[in-house]
Amino acid sequence: MFERFTKDARAVVIGATACAERADSSTVTEEHLLLSLLDLGGSRTDFAFTALGVMDRRAALEASLADVRRRGGMTKADEAALAGLGIDVGAIVARVEETHGAGALAGDRKDRRWWSGHRSFTREAKSALEKSLRIALGRRDRTIGAEHILLALVSGRGVVAEVLAEHGVTYGALERAMFGGTDGGAARAG
Amino acid sequence: MTEATELAERAGDRDPRVGLRAVAALRRLLEQLEAVQVRSARNQGWSWQEIAAELGVSRQAVHKKHGRL
Repeated sequence: MFERFTKDARAVVIGATACAERADSSTVTEEHLLLSLLDLGGSRTDFAFTALGVMDRRAALEASLADVRRRGGMTKADEAALAGLGIDVGAIVARVEETHGAGALAGDRKDRRWWSGHRSFTREAKSALEKSLRIALGRRDRTIGAEHILLALVSGRGVVAEVLAEHGVTYGALERAMFGGTDGGAARAG
Repeated sequence: MTEATELAERAGDRDPRVGLRAVAALRRLLEQLEAVQVRSARNQGWSWQEIAAELGVSRQAVHKKHGRL
């Protein structure tokens, strides 16, 4: 699969590992793939992010991601669903942090010992990369580019997809911004 | 945001989507809570055996899952 990755797509994967390293995370997540995509200049994805106003709101987007992480990976939609059961996620997070410190529910800990220095991709991040291949095939593109990784991220049901949607970044909006249409015809040119 | 609002509005009715979503979210929250508690117990010197007994699972299971914490 990786032999089909364009230079940009490879840069995104390598950049995601670097993002994980900077964040002291022992795993490479979908969030790191997104941050790496945001750092990738001069690409179709960069153009789409700018067109959708993401670059101007990057700080807000990153804050949303951090907030979800702090709340144990619960998005607004998750919290709403749990509220329907009478479960107050905010209260749980507050109690846990009171006892175990701020960010306790974020899971990944800086003090976690890492064994070899090798950071593995999470299941979700791996499946996003696999999905990018299917999306490229579906669009009849011969290579997998950064744009396919981005489409894979937003088409998932994960935290990253939801947070992006909260900021107006959806599959349809991205497809229009990157390929100029929804019929997929423009993709053949690439 | 719209999805969250929509879910909140439908939380009272019998839409399975809301209930299933809540279960999935709860499962993920549970995993995080378990990790926090296991880490805390280990920091306080609990053995894997003691932690496993409280969680109602085998020592091997808890060690395999949280051994790297």
